[in-house]
Amino acid sequence: MSTADKLMANARYVWTCWKVNLAAMEYRLSFLLLAGMMFVNNAIWLFFWSLFFGRFPVVQGWELHDVMLLWAVSTGGFGWAAMLFGNFPRIAGIVATGHLDVYLSQPRPVLLSVLVSRCSVTAAGDFLFGIAVYLMVGDTSPRGMLLFALGLLISGMLFIAVMVVAGCSAFWIGNAEGMTQQLFNSFIALTTYPSDIFRGFVKLALFSLVPAGFISYLPIGLLRDFDPLFAAGAVTAACGLTLAGALLFRRGLRRYASGNTIAMRS
Amino acid sequence: MDGESNRWAVAGRKAAAVGRIAFRHQLAYKTDFAMRGFFLLFILFVFIQLWSAAYEGDFSKSISGFTLKQIVWYLVFTEALTLAAPPLCSRIEEEVKNGDVAIRLIRPQSYAGYHFSVFASEALTRFIVHLAIGSAIAWPFVGPPAFGYGWLGLLALSAGALTVTFLLLMLVGLCAFWVEETSGLYFVLQKLQFTIGGMLLPIDLMPEWLQRVCAWLPFQAALYFPARMGVHFDAALLAKQLAIQIGWIVLLALAVSRMYRRGVSKLHVNGG
Amino acid sequence: MLALQTRGLGKTFRVKRKEAGLSGSFRSLWKPNWETKEAVRGIDLTVREGETVAFLGPNGAGKSTTIKMLTGILHPSFGEAEVLGLTPWKERERLAYRIGAVFGQKSQLWYHLPPIDTFELISRIYELQRDEYVRRKDELIERFELGPYLHTPVRKLSLGERMRCEIAASFLHGPRLLFMDEPTIGLDAVVKQRIRELIRERNRVEGTTVFLTSHDAGDVETLCSRAVVIHHGGVLVDEPVERMKREVLSRKIVTLKLTEGADPAALPLIAGTRWETEEEGCRLAVDLKRTTIERVLGELIGRVGFTDVNVEDPPLEEIIKHIYGMKGEAD
Repeated sequence: MSTADKLMANARYVWTCWKVNLAAMEYRLSFLLLAGMMFVNNAIWLFFWSLFFGRFPVVQGWELHDVMLLWAVSTGGFGWAAMLFGNFPRIAGIVATGHLDVYLSQPRPVLLSVLVSRCSVTAAGDFLFGIAVYLMVGDTSPRGMLLFALGLLISGMLFIAVMVVAGCSAFWIGNAEGMTQQLFNSFIALTTYPSDIFRGFVKLALFSLVPAGFISYLPIGLLRDFDPLFAAGAVTAACGLTLAGALLFRRGLRRYASGNTIAMRS
Repeated sequence: MDGESNRWAVAGRKAAAVGRIAFRHQLAYKTDFAMRGFFLLFILFVFIQLWSAAYEGDFSKSISGFTLKQIVWYLVFTEALTLAAPPLCSRIEEEVKNGDVAIRLIRPQSYAGYHFSVFASEALTRFIVHLAIGSAIAWPFVGPPAFGYGWLGLLALSAGALTVTFLLLMLVGLCAFWVEETSGLYFVLQKLQFTIGGMLLPIDLMPEWLQRVCAWLPFQAALYFPARMGVHFDAALLAKQLAIQIGWIVLLALAVSRMYRRGVSKLHVNGG
Repeated sequence: MLALQTRGLGKTFRVKRKEAGLSGSFRSLWKPNWETKEAVRGIDLTVREGETVAFLGPNGAGKSTTIKMLTGILHPSFGEAEVLGLTPWKERERLAYRIGAVFGQKSQLWYHLPPIDTFELISRIYELQRDEYVRRKDELIERFELGPYLHTPVRKLSLGERMRCEIAASFLHGPRLLFMDEPTIGLDAVVKQRIRELIRERNRVEGTTVFLTSHDAGDVETLCSRAVVIHHGGVLVDEPVERMKREVLSRKIVTLKLTEGADPAALPLIAGTRWETEEEGCRLAVDLKRTTIERVLGELIGRVGFTDVNVEDPPLEEIIKHIYGMKGEAD
């Protein structure tokens, strides 16, 4: 089979998974309620920010408008990532509990299979919230929409990549669920605060160790005052981390498989 | 009269016994404590950065009566109180769903009384631990919590605040006697505390119209009162706020007991 | 003296009927479609103090619901009940001092703490006198042989050890009437037998009235003097276990594992028995009124090649079905 054929086969497989996930939901009312609750939850945060900026109109160059766009990019990006690749926050658990075996037995790229085999319905609420907020306050010219789409792509990819890299730690240290869950929550929280409230060492960390800054600076560096250097950096970070995650997962898998054979022999 | 006071004394002794065992039982959940502690440190760090930026690092500026130091300690107190409450609603819902409510009702003790003992025991432990953790991060950034009798005010109002929280959670939890899912209602309650309870923002900093709304609701008594008294001691106000808390406690307790009595006669436990 | 008495005791409850599909879910949210179900239809029952009563019936017959009404946990929809002179759902807390309850699948012990801590709590909740508590506790620990587990966190105990602690805990405040809902569920045969003996002993020594539900014929046989069978929410049979045993427990099941190559079709006919062929082995239903196990086994040996044999009581479900069969014929 040629590479092109392989790619096509994988694309068809992913497409089928999405269709199956969608059908499995059966549009259950409780799921819809959950999605609605996420929407309200996000709206309440924006309510808080409106009160906050009612007192302090400009904070480190950020205004309410920018924070709203930040929420649009962050929730929208998280939304599509969790809807289409719903297992990304759960990799550590799947590895640690031995559930990878199921995926290993399928003739498909393992990481891709893992990621697409779950769809978070509540994330639909997040995604719709992001879109709704952008349509309300964002720049709806073709250029603005294109930049927003790019922003969504970058933030979603970063969410997935960071959690894949973190989840891979389970290959080496075993029970890493609690730790990655904490990291996940913190990472999400960090992407919803203006990056410029942090300084010095912490700010440096935001653009390296815990790259939430590439999401939380998007409203300024990409949407408001397009900064080619930052945009290039964000794209590089998103692609680079995705690649790193895939490679790390592959190395972990080798360890996982060999670990199993040892267990079987003994 | 004597029989009546004796009855209360007996109920008190039972509550204390349940409280003691619940205290020891919760110590088994060490990772829970650690995780909440980590989250508290993290979120307080973010808040400190946010408010420092808002005040432009100016420690002398006062906005609506709050300096940077006061606002940071205010947030330490509200977060410590918020994270202190154990998940009462989901516990009651679980008890009704899996029938464990039978174990509670076979005892010669009131159902709400049992849950109050467990809640109080766990909430107080967590509150103290959270205050210590919160202090560890707030102190180095904004200095010691030297607010006169503030600590006294905080502690005086915290007992009532946690009681109000308990009663609000109980009202939502008891809905499980009628409906299957209480998480939606709990979500609403949580968000109300979040905003108009003053968890993220002191009510003084809110717009005028919202402050007037808050004054008529019980949520301010659960978070805002103790936290504000902690950074702004005022003896006259303390008396007034204590009175408001007691008023809400009486009102909510009546509602809880009424609701329990109606609910328990409707109760249906699974497993025929 | 009566331990409990009910007249037409029953409970109905409403369930929301779910409709299929999204539009159905929405419709039932605005306008729920309620359906009334009858859990217990109207039970008339009298139990004297000191009796040991087995309360039997198939799943969903309303056994647990009845017990929960008699303990004051659930409020009945109609009918009356008096337990030790009190109306359970009106005087729940007062009644609680005098009765005890064991729910086989629920634990009253605090999971992360040793059982002794729960014992201590119970002594406070039931307001036991200190010396009285210590005396009873020591006696129960000795009789139930709890010494080794008393200071081990409950989560580390086996099910059998835990159940012994659960039942001892229920006896701690000296209840005059003990309700048990499936007390031996999930336990192995040895532990079951030990628990039955212990409950029996409490009944003998302290005169505790025992009212239990079970799926296990052994519980009923060794523990109870009287059996009440309910079906469709009403009392169907109420008679001494002795008579029930004569009529219904007079069957045994002999299961054989045939040697390989043996032809199941060529099994010999033995008087007083009936073959019920199953996939794994062969089941022989033995009627003890017409023959004995000894005679049946004697006939089998030499005529059938088998590698394993197992003699057991028929499951309680089967016995009860048998009763319904009898009733059906009589009607």
